[in-house]
Amino acid sequence: MKSSSMAVALGVLGVVFILVAVLYALGVLQIFTSTTSGPHYKHAILFVVLAVASFVAANFARPKLV
Amino acid sequence: MGLLQGASELFPVSSLGHAVLAPSLLHWSFKQSDPSFVPFLVLLHLGTATALLVLYREQWVDIIRGFFSAALRGQIKTDTERLAMLLLVGTIPAAILGVFLESRIKSLFASPYVAAGFLIVNGLLMLGFEFLRRRKERGASRTEQESHFAEAERISFRAAALVGACQALAFLPGISRSGITIGGGLLAGLRHQEAARFSFLLATPVILGAGLVEVPELFKGGVPILEYVAAAILSGIGAYASARFLLRYFRSGRLDPYGWYCIAAGLVALALLHFDL
Repeated sequence: MKSSSMAVALGVLGVVFILVAVLYALGVLQIFTSTTSGPHYKHAILFVVLAVASFVAANFARPKLV
Repeated sequence: MGLLQGASELFPVSSLGHAVLAPSLLHWSFKQSDPSFVPFLVLLHLGTATALLVLYREQWVDIIRGFFSAALRGQIKTDTERLAMLLLVGTIPAAILGVFLESRIKSLFASPYVAAGFLIVNGLLMLGFEFLRRRKERGASRTEQESHFAEAERISFRAAALVGACQALAFLPGISRSGITIGGGLLAGLRHQEAARFSFLLATPVILGAGLVEVPELFKGGVPILEYVAAAILSGIGAYASARFLLRYFRSGRLDPYGWYCIAAGLVALALLHFDL
């Protein structure tokens, strides 16, 4: 399962999650929210956590020199 | 209410179910639609999370250290590092479902009748978990039976994700977060005490996170902050005492008594609500 392409994909996913988090925090993104205006910090925090998890997973997937 | 929430949050009997049922049954003038209800719940959750952090303070220091070591190295080398990653994997599904679905589910099912009904379902689930567990047990004494099962660090990542996702069921009033995660841990092959430990560790970031994101609600006008802080302290004391009790109880105890309690409490609550007693 360890491959550089998998690691890159997970890294890119992490960057996408960061972007989504910023959009929620700025109130630009209003998808799956209880109100349709204003920032959604709860959603933003969730996507930051998902980004961290993706970067960690990318580091695990990266081929290592033994 | 603080003591009730704190104590029942960790017991496998559904704190939310009790929080919905108790005011209706005891005729307390306490409405969940009241604007001060969310700040109240926030502080109670922070009280419970603080109690869990105090209880596992040394383990949390190791877990956080283990998380950073494993994350930076890209490799798991110790049991604590594995536990840290298991907790991350278990927390993510609950966090996703919590953020996107919690308010919708809670508003759909926040009725005392529904809470009583789900309390009965929760009881049946607890008995079901124990029924499935007994089929895997060997040995005469309880100590011998438990010795064949694993510690929290040995649970698989898939099982951790599944147990974490099961936490979302606790948004239904009457379904217990700790009950469902302890039950999931048992099915994944953990000892009762270890399933309880994994459940409490898994609950800490979720409860703390759910509380912290709502903190701004506390600073809105009309919140009787001193009374709420007192309730939060009582909630913390209740949670600490119940966690200590449960970890001791699950050395040899099972979920069955809580299952029967939930079924009985649900039936009694339905009868009381029906006859408006």
